[in-house]
Amino acid sequence: MPGVLPRLSVVACGLLLLAAAPQSLEGTIRGRVQLAAVPRAAGRPAIAELSASTADPIDRRHCVVYLKSAPREAFGQLRTSRVRMDQRGEQFVPHLLAITAGTFVEFPNSDTTFHNVFSLVRGSNGFDLGRYPPGRTGGHKFDTPGIVPVSCDIHSHMSAYILVFSHPFFAVTDDDGRYSIAGVPPGSYTLVIWSELGHADNKEISLGAGETVEVDFRVTR
Amino acid sequence: MRFGIGAAVAALAVLAGVPSLASGGQSQEPVATPAPRRVTAGAEVSLVAGPIDDEAFFNFTDYEHNALRVARIRVMGEWRVAPRFSILGEARSENGDGVQVPAFYGRWQPWARHDFTVQAGVIPPVIGAYPRRAYGRDNVVIGSPLSYQYLTSLRPDALPATVDDLLRMRGRGWQPSYPIGSKAITTGVPVVATSRWDTGVEANWRRGPIEMAGAVTLGAPATPVVRDPSDGLQYSGRVGAWLPGAITLGVSAARGAWINRSVLNLYPENERDRNKETVVGVDAEAGVGPWLVRAEWIHASFTLPFLTTPAPDHLSTDSGFAEARYRFHPRWQVAGRVEHLGFSQVSGTINSGLPTSWDAPVERVEGVLGFRAMKNLEVRAGYQYNWRDGGRVHERGYPTALVLFWF
Repeated sequence: MPGVLPRLSVVACGLLLLAAAPQSLEGTIRGRVQLAAVPRAAGRPAIAELSASTADPIDRRHCVVYLKSAPREAFGQLRTSRVRMDQRGEQFVPHLLAITAGTFVEFPNSDTTFHNVFSLVRGSNGFDLGRYPPGRTGGHKFDTPGIVPVSCDIHSHMSAYILVFSHPFFAVTDDDGRYSIAGVPPGSYTLVIWSELGHADNKEISLGAGETVEVDFRVTR
Repeated sequence: MRFGIGAAVAALAVLAGVPSLASGGQSQEPVATPAPRRVTAGAEVSLVAGPIDDEAFFNFTDYEHNALRVARIRVMGEWRVAPRFSILGEARSENGDGVQVPAFYGRWQPWARHDFTVQAGVIPPVIGAYPRRAYGRDNVVIGSPLSYQYLTSLRPDALPATVDDLLRMRGRGWQPSYPIGSKAITTGVPVVATSRWDTGVEANWRRGPIEMAGAVTLGAPATPVVRDPSDGLQYSGRVGAWLPGAITLGVSAARGAWINRSVLNLYPENERDRNKETVVGVDAEAGVGPWLVRAEWIHASFTLPFLTTPAPDHLSTDSGFAEARYRFHPRWQVAGRVEHLGFSQVSGTINSGLPTSWDAPVERVEGVLGFRAMKNLEVRAGYQYNWRDGGRVHERGYPTALVLFWF
């Protein structure tokens, strides 16, 4: 049966390739965050200024949803990069940033006034970029997981937060409060939410292979 | 304007807890744009510890407080009445001596697209740069600059009859006395007063790197007032520019009547217009990285009537300072300031008729180490040394400490 063997070989190879193809085992956690806590007024009035303040209001309603613990292999997969936290309208934009450890954050000055970004958090995440004029960019590499409050030494009404994670399973909510954490291996996890406006109880979840789990939060003060 | 200390504490408590009026819902779905703030408030508490200094009076202010020994509470508030109109005010108490309202004014921005504002009431001064950052962490050291704090021997309510009367008060600005006018015991005036603001209207326009401000107020740079005891208005203006290389430059000038009319009325009518203080100032700031360097120079000229001749056409002062701050760690900084306050020369019969400066020149240096314990809590310790070419104490040094908290 000439020709049969080569055909069988092609079929076998095809089956082998199919078997070797990555199966979609990873799941997605998504949901929506409802804010029952409202932001308080912030920022001191500029009594001694000759002109009206041009500072934009701070959008404090974004939250970070993350896994409290992650599979061991997740820690070896950290992809560091450069991300940007702009300074415009005398505010940090975005006001909340979530990154993995080792990420370099640029702080460009897109305003018409000087800025001086700093954080007094202990350890290597603490920094002071000094004063720099419009058009210039300063930056800092965040090596240690933790919460980093960021401020401007010149404008006391400016504030921001950077959350540094040792794994990639986190997401910042969008303007509608929605979030999505994709690529999560199957398993049981504790889902945590961080908001500067208040707190919400952690959620225990179980994620199956290729599954999508919906988890909603309600943040109260 | 003064109120009881109880009112100050109540205001502090109320304002510190004022939430945004516009955000008054119980539950809120996330939306794209946050609600605008209607009321904002802040407060600042500072405690400066230093020697009593009831001999040299190098650091006394026109409020008869020692700038190196004062406990101060400031409460600032802004009420946005309309999208482009706000009412702003500050209440301040020093050493528990009641409450003053050094600032209370309306701020109107007629056009949303233009950075043009009009302010009326007890308004921020436009002269120099320091008066708008006189308190809190904006002051890189602990003391105040001589130009804005040191008490000269001039009084708006009492005048020397002769040059000799003036020369007898050299270096006695904390308590000068003169034969004409008030016999009350009080202080002299600084070249430019910052502890209180003047009353009037000012306009500010900013476009790109240029900022211009002009004001018409009641008092004079040395004697800002709420109710004017002198004749005539003060006209002041400032032009500022942000230059390439992280440099800010400003030029300012002011002219106003500084002598009380109750004293001038004792003089012949043709002498009564000799009551002007004229000020010209230049200020510069450069801040790059951990460095912040500032300098100011002020030339002031006072005219006043004398009963005898020859008399000087005017009495002038030249004063200036240079200061620098270096932040060598996110929490730690060092800062220093060097200063000079000089006076023009006059001739009387004292000192054998030789030309003598009408007040005793003063030099000052100050160095400070600062620690930022929290974002809004700063502790500083420093040392200030003064030299004066006259008065009963010619030189003196002061160890100082400051605790500053704001929210």
